[in-house]
Formats: sequence, C-alpha cells, structure tokens
Amino acid sequence: MSRAPESAPPARLDHHALERYETAWLGVAAVMTALLFVGVLASVVSGTYPLLDAGSGHAHDGPIVRGRVDPKNLAATPFAKPGLVVDAAGQPLLNDQGTLDAYIVAGNFTFQPAVLRVPAGVPVTLHVTATDVAHGFEVTGTNINAEILPGHVASLTVTFRHPGEQHAICNEYCGVGHHNMITRFVVDPPATGAKETQ
Amino acid sequence: MTTALPSQSAPSAALPGLDAATLSSLKKLTQYYAVTAFIALMIGVLLGPLQALNYGGINVYDYPLLKVLIKSYYQGLTLHGVLNALVFTQFFISGWMLYLPVRDLNVRPNMRFAWFTYLTMTAGLLTAAVPLLTNDATVLYTFYPPLEGSPVFYIGAAVMVAASLLVAGQVVWLWLAWKRAHPGRVTPVVTYMSVATWLMWVVAALGLVVEVVVMLIPWSLGLTRGVDPLLARTLFWWTGHPIVYFWLLPAYISWYAFLPRQAGGRMASEGLTRLAFAMFLVFSVPVGLHHQYADPNVQNSWKIIHMFLTFLVAVPSLLTAFSAAASLEDAARAQGGRGLIGWVRRLPWGNASMTAQVLAMVSFIFGGAGGIVNASMAFSPVVHNTAWIPGHFHITVGTATTLTFMGVMFWLVPHLTGKRLASPRTALASVWWWFTGMMLFALGMHWQGLAGVPRRAQVSASAQQAVYDAMHLGLPKAITAASGIVLFVAAILFYAVLWRTLLSRRVDDPESTPIPTSEAISAAGETLAGASPLVRRTEPLLALTFAALVLVILVYGPVIAPMLANYQFIPGQRLW
Repeated sequence: MSRAPESAPPARLDHHALERYETAWLGVAAVMTALLFVGVLASVVSGTYPLLDAGSGHAHDGPIVRGRVDPKNLAATPFAKPGLVVDAAGQPLLNDQGTLDAYIVAGNFTFQPAVLRVPAGVPVTLHVTATDVAHGFEVTGTNINAEILPGHVASLTVTFRHPGEQHAICNEYCGVGHHNMITRFVVDPPATGAKETQ
Repeated sequence: MTTALPSQSAPSAALPGLDAATLSSLKKLTQYYAVTAFIALMIGVLLGPLQALNYGGINVYDYPLLKVLIKSYYQGLTLHGVLNALVFTQFFISGWMLYLPVRDLNVRPNMRFAWFTYLTMTAGLLTAAVPLLTNDATVLYTFYPPLEGSPVFYIGAAVMVAASLLVAGQVVWLWLAWKRAHPGRVTPVVTYMSVATWLMWVVAALGLVVEVVVMLIPWSLGLTRGVDPLLARTLFWWTGHPIVYFWLLPAYISWYAFLPRQAGGRMASEGLTRLAFAMFLVFSVPVGLHHQYADPNVQNSWKIIHMFLTFLVAVPSLLTAFSAAASLEDAARAQGGRGLIGWVRRLPWGNASMTAQVLAMVSFIFGGAGGIVNASMAFSPVVHNTAWIPGHFHITVGTATTLTFMGVMFWLVPHLTGKRLASPRTALASVWWWFTGMMLFALGMHWQGLAGVPRRAQVSASAQQAVYDAMHLGLPKAITAASGIVLFVAAILFYAVLWRTLLSRRVDDPESTPIPTSEAISAAGETLAGASPLVRRTEPLLALTFAALVLVILVYGPVIAPMLANYQFIPGQRLW
C-alpha cells in the first residue's frame, strides 16, 4: 500500500493529545472547586444568612442545656410563653447578648404563637422547638430555614430590615396535617423610642 | 463477551472459569434482579403523576376510587419514593454489578449463594411492602423519627439492605480470588469500577445499618423509650448522601465502559476512569452534613468541613463529564462529524440505548449544577426542603440513573434472554418523552421551590391557598402538572416495549448481543509493572477503603460524640 488514500480519514484523538486535555481539565476542575469553596466561605463569614446556633451560644432562663430541652416539660422553659420576650410593661427585653428573644413552638400541625410579631431594625434571636415530631421552619421571602426537632432548640439571630408580612411554613413532613401548617409572620415597623442597633 | 478484549482473563487452574450451566443460571439471576427492579419502578412511576398533579394545584387524592387503594397523598408519596429510589435502584444495581465483574473476570461465582441473596432481598422487600400498603409506615423514604412506622417496615428494609451487602461481599470475594490467581495483573476496568462502588457502599451503609438496627427497630418494638431525632438524622445522612453515588456510579460504569462503543467510538482514558472511582470511594461518604445545614446543635465548623469534602466529590463527576464527552466526540468524528459542536449530529441518534444515556447526561449537567447549589451553605437555606429539592433529584437519580438503566435494558434484555427488542422506534420515543418530562418537572419544581413552596406537602389541598396564590405560581404549576402527563406517556411507551420484549419468544443466541465493552484510547495495560503510576496507585482498593473509613471516622466522630453525650429519648408518634 504505497498509494495514499484519496481522502484521508479524519485524524482521531490519540493518547498524547488526550492526556494533555485531561490534565488541563483536571486543573480547571480543581480551580473551580477551590473558587467555589472560597466564595461560599466568604459568604458564610460575612453573614449573608443566619447561621444556626450549635447549642452553646445563648443563655436561657430555665432548663435548656446545650440546645436541648425536654419536650414534655416545656412549661418550665421560656417556651411556656411563646412569642417575643417582653418586660412587665410589655416592652421587648434585650438579652445579655444584646438581641431580643422570640420563642416559637411547633407541634400538632400549628406554630405557637399563632401570629408571630417581631420589630424591624433590631437583631432578634428566634428559638424554635417541637413538641411531637420533626417540623420545618421556613419564613417566606427570607433565608430563614431550619429543622425543628423535638428535644432540640434551633436558635438563629436575624435583623429584619423592612416591616411587612410574611408566612412561616412547615417544610418538613410531619403527618396528615402538614400542608396546613402555615402561620403569619409579621415584622412591625421599628418601635418609636426603641433603642436602635446599628 | 463474544469479542476478545484485553480485559478478558483466561481461567487458571486455581480459579475455575464460567461454564455454560453457571452462565445460564447467572443470566437468569440477573434477569430476575432487573425485572424485579423494573416492576417496582413501574408501580412507583404510575404513582408519579399524582404527585406532579398535586404540585400543579390539582388534588386527585380525594377521589373515592383512589382512596380505596391509597389513604393519603403522603402514603402515595411514601410508596413513590421507596419503590423508585430505594427498591428499583438497589435491585437493578445488585444484578448489574454482580453480572458485570463476573463476566469481566470470567470467574465462577457460587450460584447458590447468589440466588440466596436475591431471595433474601426479595423477602425483605415483600416484608416492608406490607406496612407500606396498609398505611402503617407512611413515613416517607427518609423515615425521620420520631414519626414511628410499623417495626415490620424497618425490619424488611434492614433485610433488603443487608442483602445488598451480601452481593458486595460476593463480588469483593471473587475479585480477591482473581487477584490471588493473577498476581501482578491490573484489575480490568469494569471490575475495578464495580468493586470500588461496592466497597464505597459498604462504608456508606454503616450509618443506616446502625440507625435502623440499633435505634429504630428496638424503639418501634417498644424496647426503648425513645430515640434522638438528631442522631438518627445524622446516621441516616451518613448513608443518605453516598447512596446517591451508589445509584449514580453503576450508570457511570455504562457511560465509561459501554456507551463509547454503542456510539461507535472508544473509551477515553482508563487511568482517569480509575482515578474518578478511587476518588468516589474515598470522598463519597464523609459529606452527609451538607443535608443538615438547617439542623440545630451541630457545630458550624463541621458543616463547613463536610461542605468542602462535598465539593471535592464534584471533581470525579467533572472528570466523568470530560471522559464521556471526549468518547462521544471521538465516536462522532470517526463517523465524519465536523465542527466545534456540529459533531453531535453524527452520533447514532436512532439507537434508543445510546440516546437514553446521552439524554441522561444532558439533564445531569443541570442536576449536577443544582447539586452544587444545594451543597453550598449560603444557598442551602433558600432551597432546603422546598420543591426545588425534588426538582433537583428528578434530573439526577430520575435521569442519570433511571434513564441510563432504561437505556441499558434495551441491550441487556436481549443479551440475557436472546429475545429481540420489540419496536426500537417506540423505545426511542419513550426515552425522549422521559427526558422531556423530567426536564419540565425539574423546571416547574425548581421554580416553585425558589418561590417558597415546601417539598412533600399536599399543597393542592392546603386550607391556606392565599399564601401560595401570593407567590404567582400559575406558569410553574402548569409546567409541573404537564410534566406528570408527559412522564406517564413515557412510562406507557417504555413498559410496552419492555413487556413485549420480555414476553416474546427467544429467537437468538443471547451471546450474539455482546456486552458493549469499549476499547480505550489510553488503556491501562495488563500488568501492574508496565502500568502508569496512576493505575498502580489506584489499584489497591482495599487500602483506599481503609482510608475512606478513617476519613469518615475523623469527620463524623466529633459530630456524633456530643449527640451521644446529650442523647434525648423522644417517644414515637403516628400522625398520619
């Protein structure tokens, strides 16, 4: 076969070319992964979303230890009075970390309080627990989204910039009434005279 | 295999090869696994449109006729999830990843043990099916305590998973026997991928086994007064994330080793293939906390470490994307394909098996990208437990795995039985309908999730429609409902082909349809001494498994220890 073929078959990828492309791609993949990690880490550090407490960050009245609570004995905890913690005059009370506290109880296909009201412009720490099974706590229009487990307290601190009305939706399957477990979540305008933070 | 390939091994005196009787029994067993899997998928898929219609705003679960069969949306959803995600995958994979390495190594397995394993798995399935069908285990496929299902469900599920570990043991045993009989040889690539996947599954399954055997079964039998829901979830996700690689990697085996030949080309690089599977073995398991970013009482530093490891597992999937695309391009150019992307037209689009797998890959580009979003701590709170998540996994396990297995069946059934694929045109249509349906479902559900619609909720029956009306969901709801119908048509077309094929007469020698094992552009070679450093370093799979185990203990030990120290006994509830 000394005669060259009239139309040469297309050159196929050979071993060496493939290796070059592979190495380049592996490098691209590694760089992309590193950038992604750094980007997300920057977002976490700069606080673009509320981090969940790991069970030691907040001092509570009553028997809440390391983020754990006895679901049969919520009466002895601040969860006995769901809602914003207020003083005798009905004014929101700052805790020793400079935030307001709001306690929320999920159970029996409802949230307590039935309508949660928090003020805008002040950091509020939401503490949520469940009485029966796992529930979810998602506030529409925000990136507040936590698993609510009986025996555990999910705590996260948020500052609502704007007043308005949203909904808290249970987003973890909790039984036949799951789809009706929705409640109003109201952010009130900053109270006049209330101490502004930031 | 009818073609002589480098990966084929001559039987040695120490290790008997496959004889005709064993091969026949093995083919029958593989057929049983595959057909059981596809029966489970059929029932699960028939329930699918009901879930899609729910997210289209149409509540069908109140029709009296349906209520006789299924008590609630949540029972239907539990059956849909368990049958499609747990039963279908595990049965198909157990048959597939026993058959392939046995043929690849040409070794004779103990068929009595193999049949015993199949029967055990089936017994587990039938046991778990009873409470599922009687509405006594409507706990969804994640079965988070303290929702408490019947103990029969947990026991049946445990037996089923245990049977998969027996298959893993048999394959690893056969591989080790082959290694002893062939010292200094490189493990053939199909076997390498299968053994790596099985070993990964063994490490991965530990979490679920401990959760079910130590926590859930004694609790559901009334032997303990409660379980800690956080520890149970943590053990569940120890297995729950790598289980998706257990579903995905058997499809990757086909994409790496078989699809290139089906497309008329060659596998790209064996070394890179081995690297990808070695990485999956080591990094698949220590990532589960990325499902628990929203969980209380877990240190954020550990969530971040699991996130980093999750991103690392994206690397072998990116390598797979490279290899698959390279081998397809190689195939298309060999058939005269031209241009930067114009070559795509020269792929054999008339072949339903190839088309199914290429469409599975296309949808998986979107599925994989969405997965990166889910795994990012900063994005997760926007999408966690919203409709986005089922949108995501229907274009991962619903296509990359399921559509690939559907495509594999088009050659595997003729190969196992000697029956001819009935109506290749209908087969081709079915995979396009499936792809279209899943893409539409994913579009509608991702969209609804971003608007704030929760997953796993009978939203169509919610008393608070005003909340959803305010989200302006007209278009995504319509797309989601339509996707259910498209997928229903796809299922009818696919099962018409499958049943007509299976019920037809045997006309050919089964071996005349070969396993489409591809040649490699960069092969690994036969002997370890002559192989590249990459091939040599990825060969010791047991050592890599040990490394995986150490890594898992390192990143789970400090997470689980405080949960044990603060263990909460939470009693069970039945709220459905």
